[in-house]
Amino acid sequence: MATIAVPLGGQAEQQEAEAVRRPALSDYLRWSVDHKIIGVQYGVSAFLFFIIGGAMAMGIRLELWTPELDLMVSGAAYNSLFTIHGTIMIFLFIIPMWAAFGNFVVPLQLGAKDMAFPWLNAFAFWLIPPAAVVVLLGYFVSPAEAGWTSYPPLSTLFSGDGQTLWALGAHLLGISSIMGSINFIVTIFNMRPPEMTIWRMPLLCWAVLATSIIAVMATPFLAGALTLLLLDRVAGTTFFDAAGGGDVLLWQNIFWFYSHPAVYIMVLPGMGVLSEVLSVHSRKPVFGYRMVGLSSMGIAFVGFTVWAHHMFTSLQPELRIPFMITTMIIAVPTGIKMFSWLGTIWGGKIRFTSAMLFALGFLSLFVIGGISGVMLAALPFDIHVHDTYFVVSHFHFVLFGGSVFAVYAALYHWFPKVTGRMMNERLGRIHFVFTYFGFLFTFFPMHVVGMLGMPRRVAVYVEAFQPWNQLISLSAFVLGFSTFIVIYNVIKSYYHGPIAGANPWRALTLEWQTTSPPPPMNFDDDPIPFEDPYGYGTEASAAYLEVVDEAFGVRSNRAGEH
Amino acid sequence: MTSYVERQRKTKLGRPSEADLRLKNNRLGMTIFQISWIMVFLAMIIVNWQLRFSYSDWPPAGVAPFDPLLPSAATVALLLSSLLVKRGLQALRQGRIGGFLLDWRGAMVFGFAFLAAIIYEFVSVSNAALATQYGITMRLMTGFHFVHALAILAFMAHVIRRGAAGSYSGDEHESWAVEGTAKLWYFVTLAWILFYIVLYWIR
Repeated sequence: MATIAVPLGGQAEQQEAEAVRRPALSDYLRWSVDHKIIGVQYGVSAFLFFIIGGAMAMGIRLELWTPELDLMVSGAAYNSLFTIHGTIMIFLFIIPMWAAFGNFVVPLQLGAKDMAFPWLNAFAFWLIPPAAVVVLLGYFVSPAEAGWTSYPPLSTLFSGDGQTLWALGAHLLGISSIMGSINFIVTIFNMRPPEMTIWRMPLLCWAVLATSIIAVMATPFLAGALTLLLLDRVAGTTFFDAAGGGDVLLWQNIFWFYSHPAVYIMVLPGMGVLSEVLSVHSRKPVFGYRMVGLSSMGIAFVGFTVWAHHMFTSLQPELRIPFMITTMIIAVPTGIKMFSWLGTIWGGKIRFTSAMLFALGFLSLFVIGGISGVMLAALPFDIHVHDTYFVVSHFHFVLFGGSVFAVYAALYHWFPKVTGRMMNERLGRIHFVFTYFGFLFTFFPMHVVGMLGMPRRVAVYVEAFQPWNQLISLSAFVLGFSTFIVIYNVIKSYYHGPIAGANPWRALTLEWQTTSPPPPMNFDDDPIPFEDPYGYGTEASAAYLEVVDEAFGVRSNRAGEH
Repeated sequence: MTSYVERQRKTKLGRPSEADLRLKNNRLGMTIFQISWIMVFLAMIIVNWQLRFSYSDWPPAGVAPFDPLLPSAATVALLLSSLLVKRGLQALRQGRIGGFLLDWRGAMVFGFAFLAAIIYEFVSVSNAALATQYGITMRLMTGFHFVHALAILAFMAHVIRRGAAGSYSGDEHESWAVEGTAKLWYFVTLAWILFYIVLYWIR
């Protein structure tokens, strides 16, 4: 694979170009209906929650340094800690973080002036802070301790009032997610330029479309389940209480009917990001564009038929095999994406930018998460490792090795567009090395301790597991530390980074065919999309980029790179 | 080599006007919202269905089945109300504001008649039924539906008040509030019919 060293944006002549006026920082603290402001609001608040949730994870790892209780006063305190960690990471970090990139990038990629419903967009975002306050207050009042999955009777008979607040907060977040998703679907269907057929749409838009379809179809089930939970907790109903004719499995069915598709809400946009980043940074067309778009839809569809694989140990035995089969089928569209990504970078002119490194990190880690997923889908194996650290390892490979790496790839890729300045590449690479190896040595050994039989969600463990846990905890601290590198990089680059210019990556999608950051209505004129969003390496694409450069006053001095 | 761009500029298809686009967005957004939110009602139907398996009989032994007479009358009232809403919307489209207001006021009367019947059904569930999921799920479903029906009736009252003040015209761009409210009321009607069948007819 040929790789070439290419100067990364911010050349001398670009430095001279006048920096485009950026929104004031105070604009981000106010109500605004501009999708770019809202995108940053989503992103920054989600990242704050990532730090809070990450600090909690550090607490969890500190507790697990020794086999006894030391940091926590009781097992119940440990339960509430991992409950709030999971809740924050899923509901307040990953899902809003994709809304951040979706909001900022999708209207730009579609050449639209804004989202279809700007006011609704702002409203959906502003539901998140109060919801977060409610959830976090619950942690300090009398915390929920039933895990983020909140299975009754743990969540009905044992948890304190924090569980009620947890359910209220999750309710608000669900409504926010539904409103945001309706907005995305309408925007993607109605706001494309006439030249951009659905088969010429960038793949991030395909992924956000699939994600939004899942969110609007599945999140109402969460609303239903939470309504029942609230009624059971405060109104004396007995939906989940067998003594009153209820059924604890009812929660598991309805909750997972939302929450399994929600796994794809958390990772599909990351897959879309990957198609963008890999193609742009290796200067190659996406391999099998149509199949990638369709495989997003395939994952969205099949994702609705697999929920009971979370219940292999509680389900009627005759239903296990059908759910095992549907779960394994999910590997097919995912495999299509994997092949597409490999085919895209194969023989490309790969530039090892930070965005590319994180995208390649996603590739390698997500494969491991996918394979352990297929292992867990296999019933005999699942029953063996059910509720062990193997499961913890699997979903962190998918949600951290997958989603968070894609978030970082997206951050390094679109930061120039958001702020008009390049990020520091050297710091980005250092960040990548710490994150990648910190991650790998945190979560890979969990496979082993899981198979050796260490149960999840318990603060104490058999002494024999201590060396493993100390390795995991040490690596987790490295992983936690790595976050500070990117925070420093973002702040430093925001103020002192080189001016990016309109199109530092020389990408063909429409978000790059305007200034960085884009003006309030995004484009001065209706933009004309290039015929193929990933048609790199052709003369026509070089000519198109030339025209764009002329329009924005950036002289193309990178001959041979088209 | 700007031929592609030039070709596109020359043959550029017309973009819809701002007003057309807004209406198109509103309509698609409403459709997606309806498809999405009906899922909560389906979730409750699934709840009802799964809890039936906790009992060998449905209604459980010793519990009298609900009498479908009053709910059936209420359903008819709701359907009539929906029909009037549709007629009123058609009248508005033809520019007959008076006809629209009359039909919608009638729709509200039928709507409140429906609500009154549902409230009666809700409070008159027997204690024997309430000791089982037969009564509890019935209260869950009718109560949940009631909240929605009440909210949309409030919308309708607001739309009628603004309509009387002359805020709407026959032009579909200037009466989205009416169209949207009508579609929400159809939604309430459809959701009730699903609940009605599950609660009163599927034993």
